[in-house]
Amino acid sequence: MYPEKSIYLPQVATITKANMMTKVDRYFEFELEGGKDLGHKPGQFAEISIPGIGEAPISISSSPNLKGKFEMVIRNVGVVTNALHNLSVGSTVGVRGPYGTHFPMEKLKGRDLVFVSGGIGLVPMRSAIHYALENRKDYGRIMILFGARDITQRLFVDELAAWSKQSDIEFLETVDVGNPDWKGNVGVITTLFSKIKDFHAANTTAFVVGPPVMYKFVIVELFKMDMSKSNIIVSLERHMKCGVGKCGHCQINRVYVCQEGPVFALDAISELREAI
Amino acid sequence: MDFMQISKKDFQKFVENLIQSKEEVVGVVKKGKHFAYDILEKSEQLCLDYTETILPPKKYFLPVEETLLKYKTGVASSYEATYGKSPKVIIGIHPGDMAAIALLDKSFSEGEKDSHYLNKRANSTLIGIYPTQSFPHRFSNSMIEKDAYKAADCFLVDLGNDYGIEVVTEKGKKIASAMKAVAGEKGLNEKIAQAKAKIKDEVSMPFSRRELSEFLHNKETHAEWKKRAEKCFSCGSCVLVCPTCYCFDVKDTVALSLQEGERKRMWDGCMLEKFANVAGNHNFRKLAGDRLKHRIFRKGKYIIDKFGMAGCVGCGRCSQACVANIASPVDIVQELKK
Ligand SMILES: Cc1cc2nc3c(=O)[nH]c(=O)nc-3n(C[C@H](O)[C@H](O)[C@H](O)COP(=O)(O)OP(=O)(O)OC[C@H]3O[C@@H](n4cnc5c(N)ncnc54)[C@H](O)[C@@H]3O)c2cc1C
Ligand code: SF4
Ligand code: SF4
Ligand code: FES
Repeated sequence: MYPEKSIYLPQVATITKANMMTKVDRYFEFELEGGKDLGHKPGQFAEISIPGIGEAPISISSSPNLKGKFEMVIRNVGVVTNALHNLSVGSTVGVRGPYGTHFPMEKLKGRDLVFVSGGIGLVPMRSAIHYALENRKDYGRIMILFGARDITQRLFVDELAAWSKQSDIEFLETVDVGNPDWKGNVGVITTLFSKIKDFHAANTTAFVVGPPVMYKFVIVELFKMDMSKSNIIVSLERHMKCGVGKCGHCQINRVYVCQEGPVFALDAISELREAI
Repeated sequence: MDFMQISKKDFQKFVENLIQSKEEVVGVVKKGKHFAYDILEKSEQLCLDYTETILPPKKYFLPVEETLLKYKTGVASSYEATYGKSPKVIIGIHPGDMAAIALLDKSFSEGEKDSHYLNKRANSTLIGIYPTQSFPHRFSNSMIEKDAYKAADCFLVDLGNDYGIEVVTEKGKKIASAMKAVAGEKGLNEKIAQAKAKIKDEVSMPFSRRELSEFLHNKETHAEWKKRAEKCFSCGSCVLVCPTCYCFDVKDTVALSLQEGERKRMWDGCMLEKFANVAGNHNFRKLAGDRLKHRIFRKGKYIIDKFGMAGCVGCGRCSQACVANIASPVDIVQELKK
């Protein structure tokens, strides 16, 4: 018998909290057996599974500093995600991971950070935002830009409200489609950039996570602000099955996103035609 | 490498004994007009004088469908890994297919080790054979270099009344001694070399694989992909028959009792329409041309660059299988070269 244990064998986690954030997005807090830490870094993901239903790759939304548990937000789009929405607190799921690359928070000490997230892109981004805020003195300016389709699609609304009030965060938010109750910005996320004052491109690192269509537009905007490719970090979603570099589903050209991503510096993937 | 030899009669006796020993022995057999790998029940079934099998022997290590985990439905603590069985011996693998197994070995052992695959591989002894029949689509000689020897335990070479044996590994040594093969008489290695060269490929890749990878470098936007793919049915036959395709899907299936289930992996392929689809109905390779390009780049560039091994072993099965007659890597490269 080959000595290695199966790379497809999950650990067990229990749902300790769950609530709906929007009509389709559900927040979860999980605890691993024995209160173990998942041991992730900001930006990584894990494969969450229900025996009898299947597995899905989901970003870890909490900071590694949240000990003994981890958080996720899952959008109901199909078989596995729907079943996850139907589980109640106390139910168990399988967890494999953490997998993939992470936001290089250590290397960015001393720099200004601009977090640009669209919709559910806020979920993986939040892990890096929390980490940066927990280590606030290590970073320069912290700018958070968030865009949602409409006000019903906003995630972590309490945190958004808190960030908007915090003096050491520059928080900008918009919705694509307004509503009489909404007093804030209306327009796509790129309309927020002109509102940033005294932007120092050379000293700033941008994080970009959002739906596939968002990247091109945001990146063009960042270029206009003199940002270089090496200072733009993206996290890319692809279809994933194994999470361990075997099944081929996640490939962008030669790159396996589950292993070499999902977090990439833009200059590392700019020759990949299928990337953005 | 040691060179040995055995008479064909003695070889058949050896196969018969192996079958009688109740070990699972797989070999190439004739099925109507076609050839296929199958479990041998009698040594006479073994047919080493074949053109090409419909499917490669990959299926014994990466089955069409394979259970990875078993569990009680809904009970995450009940996940349990399961490991499939593989034949004790597989007889008659052509060098191209052998090189493809070497690639799978590399992929499933590199980085995270896939014990489901590697367990099965460790259990089997692989006996290869150099082709004695030509196959019009084959171009292995221009693709595989020495890769076949990274997987083979031994290779047979047809010398008329005898087989010459190239003994590659310890397992190969063991099986050669079980055959009672004898040390080669003087000049055997020359005889073997001559016999190996007898069957020439009718087509060939116009590049070495290093050159092929470089040649493809700036061909991503070539008009040929779209043009050629206009005829593609996205049927997936070209990836289904391919010995170097190892992409898979993972799915859960539940028993009729609803109490128990299995997580399975099953063959999948990048030529199928939904392969790169994500939620929100966004497809990263929506056009057949993009998928065809990905398939050829994977075979002719990405795998070569990543592992230094052939991503296509030139078996010719895809050319044979494609109803639209557009899948042949050689034809595609010739077209891109124009
Ligand atoms: C690195 C990464 C991080 C992700 N993070 C999150 C997250 O934080 N929250 C969240 O809600 N979703 C996230 N996703 C997307 C999530 O994995 C898919 O929505 C989920 O796998 C769909 O599974 P399903 O069984 O519910 O859907 P299915 O019923 O299988 O299919 C519904 C749709 O989802 C697509 N899809 C199926 N499987 C996958 C897959 N493995 N990867 C991507 N798309 C797929 C299908 O093509 C189809 O269009 C992430 C995906 C990746 C790759
Ligand atoms: S691409 Fe075609 S010729 Fe090459 S290994 Fe696969 S099936 Fe054989
Ligand atoms: S290239 Fe040929 S075999 Fe492959 S998917 Fe298209 S039609 Fe089918
Ligand atoms: S998800 Fe399987 S190779 Fe990346």
